[in-house]
Amino acid sequence: MSRGSSRKTADPAPIAPLRPSPLQPAPQPSADTPPLNEALYLRLNPDVATAVATGTFRSGAEHYQRFGRAEGRPTMAPASVVRDRVVITADPDHLAEKPRAPAGNIDHIKISPAGGIYAVGWVNDSQDRLDSIDLYFSSWSISFSAASIARVRRPDAEASIGLSAPHNCGFWGFLYAARRLPANICSAVVRLKSGAELQAMVTVDTVEDDELRNIALSGLALAKYTGAPYFAAVQSVDTAIAAQLIDFNQMLTRRAVNAPYIEFFGRGNAGYKGSIIVCLFGKIEYMFAQQAMFARQPGIGDYEFIYVCNSPESAELLLREARLASLIYGLDVTVILLNANAGFAAANNLAAKYARSSRLLFTNPDVFPRDENWAEKHSTIVADLPAAQTALFGAPLYYDDGSLMHGGMYFELDRAPGFSQGRRKDTAILRVEHYGKGAPPGTPEFLRSRIVPAVTGAFMSMARDWFERLEGFSEDYIFGHYEDADLCLKSLEAGRPARLHDAKLWHLEGKGSQRQPQHEGGAVVNRWLFTKNWLDLVQDGLTGPAPPHPALDITEAK
Amino acid sequence: MKILLVSLYHPELVRGGAQQIAYELFEGLRQVEGVEPVLLAGADHTAPAMFKSGARITGFDGRPNEFLFLSQGYDHVWDKSPSVALAESFKEFLERLRPDVVHFHHFLNFGIDYLTLTRRVLPEAKIVFTAHEFLAICAASGHMRRLTDGSLCDRASAVRCHQCMPAFPPEHFFMREMWMKAHLAAVDVFTVPSRFMIPHYVRWGLDETKFVQVTNGMKADAVPIRAAAGGRRNRFGFFGQLVDVKGLHVLLQAVDLLRAQGFTDFTVEVNGDNIRFASPERRAGIEAFLAAEAARPADQRNVVCNGSYHHDQLRARMARVDWVVVPSIWWEIFCLVISEAWSFGRPVIAANAGGPAERVTDDGDGLLFELGDAGALAATMHRACTEDGLWDRLAQGITPPPSREEMVQGYMDVYRASVLAPV
Repeated sequence: MSRGSSRKTADPAPIAPLRPSPLQPAPQPSADTPPLNEALYLRLNPDVATAVATGTFRSGAEHYQRFGRAEGRPTMAPASVVRDRVVITADPDHLAEKPRAPAGNIDHIKISPAGGIYAVGWVNDSQDRLDSIDLYFSSWSISFSAASIARVRRPDAEASIGLSAPHNCGFWGFLYAARRLPANICSAVVRLKSGAELQAMVTVDTVEDDELRNIALSGLALAKYTGAPYFAAVQSVDTAIAAQLIDFNQMLTRRAVNAPYIEFFGRGNAGYKGSIIVCLFGKIEYMFAQQAMFARQPGIGDYEFIYVCNSPESAELLLREARLASLIYGLDVTVILLNANAGFAAANNLAAKYARSSRLLFTNPDVFPRDENWAEKHSTIVADLPAAQTALFGAPLYYDDGSLMHGGMYFELDRAPGFSQGRRKDTAILRVEHYGKGAPPGTPEFLRSRIVPAVTGAFMSMARDWFERLEGFSEDYIFGHYEDADLCLKSLEAGRPARLHDAKLWHLEGKGSQRQPQHEGGAVVNRWLFTKNWLDLVQDGLTGPAPPHPALDITEAK
Repeated sequence: MKILLVSLYHPELVRGGAQQIAYELFEGLRQVEGVEPVLLAGADHTAPAMFKSGARITGFDGRPNEFLFLSQGYDHVWDKSPSVALAESFKEFLERLRPDVVHFHHFLNFGIDYLTLTRRVLPEAKIVFTAHEFLAICAASGHMRRLTDGSLCDRASAVRCHQCMPAFPPEHFFMREMWMKAHLAAVDVFTVPSRFMIPHYVRWGLDETKFVQVTNGMKADAVPIRAAAGGRRNRFGFFGQLVDVKGLHVLLQAVDLLRAQGFTDFTVEVNGDNIRFASPERRAGIEAFLAAEAARPADQRNVVCNGSYHHDQLRARMARVDWVVVPSIWWEIFCLVISEAWSFGRPVIAANAGGPAERVTDDGDGLLFELGDAGALAATMHRACTEDGLWDRLAQGITPPPSREEMVQGYMDVYRASVLAPV
């Protein structure tokens, strides 16, 4: 049977009309044609019966004359009825029936000046699988294959089409073209495996590059999934999307660290023992509080502070507070202002270039000295221990409630079996855990100096030459998270695993920045990236709190 | 000896106990031979006429050694001034003056970090800090009264403070405590007007050996008023700010209770203002009570509101009452009203906490009742009205309140001991 398409279907192939044209008389049977048994024809062709009942055709005979004959529709019952078996009365593959246009929608298409392309929509492909999303613009086009598209749940769509079981109707695609793409109207086609299509004309939104990144990452963070979000979110970008987002973010990062504003406050001593590098994310009060706490430390004059500000809207406030802090506390402070959020890694890498010492202390803004002689203690550790033991080290960190927050880090591997569409697609994700999280403050096994698989970037003391040899923090990670563990594993691979030494600090974890949904989305991509980069190494003896990897001898500090 | 007194306000611009004491001390120190006091008092948007274009520190009304610190944009969350120019002006002021002692009466309008700035600019000077309440410990106006249930707080902590002010997470209060202590570490001597404050600060983590109690003193110019001969002692007076923590509502509830018990042979006179600083609920309650009272026939009224008063009017107001009621629902640090009542020979009925509990001897020179308990206050007032000879006995037990000279001597002892102390 030929069925009319919806308004959104655009197929150049001829299609049967919805109704017979009132100007065109219904065909009459020819003299040599046996008369059609109307009742039998309708019984054998129930779809025709429905079409007649709804007025599409005046009779079965009309349908037969116009289409049924050409389609080879049965007109007579078999001589003997075969019981308990399917009887093929016509070749279904040769029926001229046009596949139904799927229910769905292209919600929006956003394009940024640097060539970021973001498309969001949904389609009911619960029976007929999605094949591609094709976007046609006036001078260019792009086709997202189903394999490159993230699939998510759309409860609103499920409700509207009456799906009885959850299904990932939603989709979104992201691609970084790295060139300006003119666009205002898009002819979008959602194509299913059967050839069914949904076509729509969509007005394109043009948004700034960083806004497009934030929109895409927020969408990733806020999406609903049919499985556990922790796994499903990572799995959803385990296509081309994660790599595209990383490329796009790298472009933004390069742009953010380009031409920073730098101002120095203080005396400008030469010969600092260390450079305390703090990456600020909005909360300026952490800067003056941190200065007040560190200023009380004996020996703190041997250190300079470098504050790098990822929040341009806070620039004026930060400069004022730096000037005040210099006046009140007398510490040497360099302020580096970026024109946009470059993320943790790039901001710290940039600040390291402006350091005036051979020791870099990467410190979160919500980290404060807990030991009264912390600065002297740190200086002594660096001066007294062999260089290999201080190339990269962290310290015990404490919550405000007094319990331990961090005594080094180790890795765990989370697995989730996947049975989508009857096919196995398991997900493995590396997870970073802290030794001693929540433990009583004096728990000795977490405090002693020792080798650990990794330490947190909340506080990380590194020899500058070692940091430079490892090429600093990887700027592949979006915003923040995992680049600290990444650097530690690079250090381990290069022969100097991370260490923990006893120079205690407070860490008000997570309070030094204002996390937005895009940061959570970035963390999903980072989780994917970290797993991709380090799964093999971690699986090879670095899993669990007591990993057997030969590079680690965590039972005895070397 | 050159002494710089840093006061949160000038008492002639903004009234208040802390600035009044700072000014009394300033005037008293002027009488001490060999001492040169200088006053630097804060002024803020409440005194816009004092501000001069581009000025951060100015003189005050042509008076020698009195200066105004023109505070702007004070950050009440972190208790700091955001202005670089103000900090530079303060630094230059210190460098020019080079006092031997810098005595802070509060840090409001300047900033707690000015203690550290002072130490940095004047490493040899002695820094004295007088705590007029608990603002360093308690972000809830320094009252140490729990906003959750109105109970008195004897221990600040990150979680407990968060419970009082849930808009801020526990970590904020942890940081605030470290922030405050980092700056208070610059102080050589802490003074408090009442002994009960010392355990609070010591429990919070400050060094007990740095604390000295120096009483608040007043210029002794009051002559006791002769009490009316014979008659009943049934006239009560409230003196002070009409804000929540002063507890006027407890007194009014006691009035209701007494009337409900059929006892109406008493009067209460309310003296004070600033009801605009009361919470909306408390203000509405007080205003409704006073309006209803004013609507009663004159012979059925028990409560009269006289409004605000100048110090010169105090004698007349005190003459109209037999008892002074201090129904405060917080710790009430010292309570100058008690000194004023005693200077006019009026026994005090006070809540049994903080400074009043330390100063008033129950059944010796006054009466104490359970803090916040209107029923207990009503019973105490009934006793005060009806017990023969009680008023006379308690009035005779009153000792003169500390004089300004006593206070000045107390502070001079602190200054001399700290200046002479080895560095």
